[in-house]
Amino acid sequence: MHDIKTGSKLRNSAASVMIETIATLSRHAPAITAAAARELGNVQLHLSFGDGSRALLTAANSVLTSRSDPDAAPYDVDVHFDDRALTLLFDAAARPADQTLENSLDMRGTRDDLLAVWRCFRLLSQRASGLRLVQAIWSAYRDNLPKQALIPPKIGPDRSADWDAPKWPALQWLEQRHPAATDLITRSEPVLAPARSLWNGVSSDSWQDSTAIFDNDLHLTMQRCKARVVADILALIPTKPPQRDLYALMKDYVTREGKGLRPTLVISTCLALGGKLEDGVRAAAALEMFHNGFLVHDDIADESTHRRGLPTLHEAHGIGLAVNAGDAMHLFAVDMTLSNLATVGLARTLGIIHEILHMCRETVEGQAVELGWIRRNFVPSRDADYSRMSTKKTGWYTCISPCRVGAVAAGVTDPALLNRFNEAFRMTGIAFQIQDDVLNLIGETDLYGKEALGDLLEGKRTIMMIHLFRGASQALRDRMTAINALPRLQKPFAMAQEMLAAMNDAGSVDYAIKVADKLANQGVYRFEADLGFIPENPAKAVLRQVSNYVTTRAL
Amino acid sequence: MASFRYTGPVSAPPSGLGPAGPFPNAPLTDPLDRRWLHYAFLSRDGRRAMVANASWLGPAEDEPAGTEHFATILLLHDGTGAWQSSQFNATTERPPWSAFMRPFPHGQPRPLTIRSANGQPAVSLSLTRTSRPCTSQSAFFARHQHLRWQSETGVTAVGDWHTGMTERVDLVGYHERVRGRWCWPDLGEWVFGFANDMGGDPAKPPEWAGVFTFIRPSTDPTEATASFMLWHNGAMRRHFPRRCVSFATRGTLDPDRITIAPPFAQLLGTPPMALPPRRLAITARQGDDWVALDFDGEDAARIVIPSETSLNAFSVHEVVGTCQLSGLIGGQKFSVETRGIVEFAGGAQNDSQGGVTDHA
Repeated sequence: MHDIKTGSKLRNSAASVMIETIATLSRHAPAITAAAARELGNVQLHLSFGDGSRALLTAANSVLTSRSDPDAAPYDVDVHFDDRALTLLFDAAARPADQTLENSLDMRGTRDDLLAVWRCFRLLSQRASGLRLVQAIWSAYRDNLPKQALIPPKIGPDRSADWDAPKWPALQWLEQRHPAATDLITRSEPVLAPARSLWNGVSSDSWQDSTAIFDNDLHLTMQRCKARVVADILALIPTKPPQRDLYALMKDYVTREGKGLRPTLVISTCLALGGKLEDGVRAAAALEMFHNGFLVHDDIADESTHRRGLPTLHEAHGIGLAVNAGDAMHLFAVDMTLSNLATVGLARTLGIIHEILHMCRETVEGQAVELGWIRRNFVPSRDADYSRMSTKKTGWYTCISPCRVGAVAAGVTDPALLNRFNEAFRMTGIAFQIQDDVLNLIGETDLYGKEALGDLLEGKRTIMMIHLFRGASQALRDRMTAINALPRLQKPFAMAQEMLAAMNDAGSVDYAIKVADKLANQGVYRFEADLGFIPENPAKAVLRQVSNYVTTRAL
Repeated sequence: MASFRYTGPVSAPPSGLGPAGPFPNAPLTDPLDRRWLHYAFLSRDGRRAMVANASWLGPAEDEPAGTEHFATILLLHDGTGAWQSSQFNATTERPPWSAFMRPFPHGQPRPLTIRSANGQPAVSLSLTRTSRPCTSQSAFFARHQHLRWQSETGVTAVGDWHTGMTERVDLVGYHERVRGRWCWPDLGEWVFGFANDMGGDPAKPPEWAGVFTFIRPSTDPTEATASFMLWHNGAMRRHFPRRCVSFATRGTLDPDRITIAPPFAQLLGTPPMALPPRRLAITARQGDDWVALDFDGEDAARIVIPSETSLNAFSVHEVVGTCQLSGLIGGQKFSVETRGIVEFAGGAQNDSQGGVTDHA
């Protein structure tokens, strides 16, 4: 687990900066930490800093974990940074190898382990230093350091030194006279990226940054995509009566806090394939409306009490109004789908309708399989049964269809190309579902949004439950079957806790995490193998981030 | 050749866009011969920006020498951040307004009307010169290709602005003429722009104005050239040549702030390209004189120009934003906060099929 609590506010020690950086990256650029974790492997890395603070960096299940380490736990590699060497790590403008002073950096460990650490840090510094949030953390840390610690040594004649006071060359003008955090004419947010020289009177460079970092801030992107889609939906929901009993209810779920995964997939796929933002937004709005209609009905069927941190619609307004609002959402979703006619034309609209219909069919089939298991109080014994159900219920619904809809909105209608999304995002989708189920058991309610242990109370057939039943003694299986047989409202919370304890004893949660990690990694592999036809661009980088997102969600 | 259609061939204008010499009044004879008139204006209230370009391209391979293809595009930007653009077939006067028509005394307004084929966006303006042009400049690259240009700041414009509704506008800007022979992949990329001091008496030239240029041919980056020209009260006071100028950028503009133009570019599957920088700093010094321009981009229109010799289009990002122009000239210090327009152009060279380096 990330030591987020220590990292969010404390920037006074180098260890806390490192911890906060890893936590921020896990949230905003999971592809980077997943790749760094793969490079680090099993190496336990101990970091000691010039200010006396220490941290331990480890990797497990594609998750990079960093925590403070005051007691110096066992480690494989020991690295010491002084303040200057540390800040150079994330300073994209200077190469540490050229700038590090003697004794400012020391590494101890076996050759292979040292190389693993070097690869991990190289990857982090190259790919993460372009993220604004990371730069904000490091610039805040650097600004609090004594200035003499940061002055680079003079190497060779400094030709720019002739330009004193206000006559600085443009690069120094941006870097020193108007450093990033203190821009004089910035309108709202500082530009934190390092300054680049285009022309210094002698040599030139392209204004097109060929080393542009394509790992976008996923968290921010998802927020933006969701906000754009929500705005589109709200504009289409009537403002006329009946507001209180219908239209206000329809807006309720839409405006609640949510990850925005589906809108992000639709819009990113559309943009990655050369489509316009508006084309993707309208299609994503239709999909999101279907999704919210399903949620309303799903919450009623599952007797759920909370959704996205607030009471479910039927809890707040009664089952009758909630069912009606869910129906209306589906009606408006059809309307929104048809409204694509104005933006993408008839052929693409028909393609989008086809994709959404396919998604709905897969989803209701998957939902029927799971609800049938619950109704008959049956727990399948094979993971493959879960996989088939989850492919329909989550793979298509959450990941595959949004991508395909986005592709169709961009004008890609070739079935062979559309099918390329299936396997990569099927695995990603199932991994996402398993992670979601694990979060329901061990995640904090505030972060997760649903009520704690809600899945156990409703008897949801998760990979953990399947694993528990598969290995349980007959007596334990009978007991768990009896618990599952009880209707949700008659099931005391203590029974859910009892089942959770049994799962922990059987190692079911750890097993689920491993399965999810394996699936997610397979999804990442298939992403690269199958989706090479999409040109490299920032939107594809967002899709790549999503495929890594499931592996690094905070557990 | 590119797949878009021009408004049709026209014969060379019988009378002049300037004297013989760097901008000869001679017909275009090569398929890559080009002549341009460029207009860029900002409203005095800081809310609007206008960019327009009238261009002539030489004859196609199977056309007689002297045949010219004319195209005009108009882009209007309002305070909400939205750009409206015509296609490349906007209509305008023939020949269009130019400060380089002779004779053309100061204080004498002349019309410039540019109208999209469907009626809007459109402008109907009276343009008045208040300043004098800079000396012409040139860039040579890829053996036989070249580009010459000449700018004049402090052009004022009043008139009507049509973007769904008609509004009266008061603008200050700059005008430029360009002549040369080049293909887009070999030209590589450029950073062009200007800033006028928009305060002071509207009837007089801006107290301070600057125009800058950075051209970086792709075939040989050592052929890059740059300059900064500074006007004071309508006359060019300093020309800082390439060795005395430096350019630097930081960050990139938010992709949501970039509009692709003309509208039909959306239909052609225009490939993505690098985002234009958000900050641009230019400093120049010569002796004790120095000038610094610090630009912070806000919104951009990416004009996608089909390339005659490569699959990738050439894109010109017209970026509007705030600008600080300061310096010390002849012992006189100045500092102006204003708005400017910067062009970040390029993109055609990322195509290995492109380039006609040996074109004679």
